[in-house]
Amino acid sequence: MKVFAFVLVIVTGIMLVVTAADFPAWGDAHSPPNQYLSTHYITQAEHETAVPNMVTAVLADYRGFDTMFETAVVFCAGLAIAAILGHEKKKRYVVRRKALPKTEEGDIIIRMATRFLVPVTQLFAMYVIAHGHHSPGGGFQGGVILAATFILMTLAFDLKTILGRFSEKMTLIWANVGLFIYAGIGVLCVLLGSRFLEYSALHKILPGTDEIMARSHSMLGVEIGVALTVMSMLFAIYAHLVSKGRLEDGL
Amino acid sequence: MNILAMITISLGVVFFFGATLGLLRFPDFYSRVHAAGKGDTLSSLLMLFGLGILVLENAHFIDVLTFIKIMMICVFIFVTSPTTTHALTDAGYSAGVKPWQKDDEETES
Repeated sequence: MKVFAFVLVIVTGIMLVVTAADFPAWGDAHSPPNQYLSTHYITQAEHETAVPNMVTAVLADYRGFDTMFETAVVFCAGLAIAAILGHEKKKRYVVRRKALPKTEEGDIIIRMATRFLVPVTQLFAMYVIAHGHHSPGGGFQGGVILAATFILMTLAFDLKTILGRFSEKMTLIWANVGLFIYAGIGVLCVLLGSRFLEYSALHKILPGTDEIMARSHSMLGVEIGVALTVMSMLFAIYAHLVSKGRLEDGL
Repeated sequence: MNILAMITISLGVVFFFGATLGLLRFPDFYSRVHAAGKGDTLSSLLMLFGLGILVLENAHFIDVLTFIKIMMICVFIFVTSPTTTHALTDAGYSAGVKPWQKDDEETES
């Protein structure tokens, strides 16, 4: 069986290499992908969506269906890790809404720096999400920064305290909410008599917008959904991996 | 204005050189982290300050905004870099890394 798998891998690899030789030259202006679609994106994206950052326009609008399932992939990864590692018996933590511990083991310098940095970093993450239209950024990046603040808190304090504030159940709920926002915007377009994820139909319910601005605004909604899912699922993955699924102390 | 920027940036380069030299040449973990932490922080601050001054040359509104952003990066480096150094040395100490003493060198050689 091992030999068979090895032969299969070798054959696939050779086929991939042979196919790669057939690709158009890098940066070739006359290759098929560069002739129709890319030209359209580059020249028309700003007129059609009022979003100066072309990458965001392509990612969240033209190829919104693709991005929706990328978010779903993150969601599934989190669920899979929770399902594999989460079979151990867990204690329910009832420490909710408790203040961060005053005298805990660990280091006061790191804790104070974390206290200072976490709110600023979260604010910056929201800026990255909201400013994805104009500068590099967007839902995935902002979500990762938000997740990083939670991970920083678990490093400076301990995992139990942070899970008391943002429990496993809450991560699942927020991941669902994020994906629901994304798919819900798509379904809303269908209900308003357009195609799935064709945002220009939303100008009927968004006040003070025309068809172009509606695309720009609903991209922001979509990015917020992506950010919620990425944030909660990355934190759930970290919490599971670091404590071998027991969600107790970890590192 | 330009001269001030040049002076701070070249000072930053000098301190960076010192930090790298210390990182490579110092005898043990603690002194290396010390060199890297101190030199890195000061030289990054100096270089960023110099770059901020360079940006500020025209004094348009958008340049002032960029200057403020660079200064904010300075503030965060000023907070995070010493904290990281502290966390590293703390982790080294609790992992049982022995500090270097002069006798060690003599007995070894």
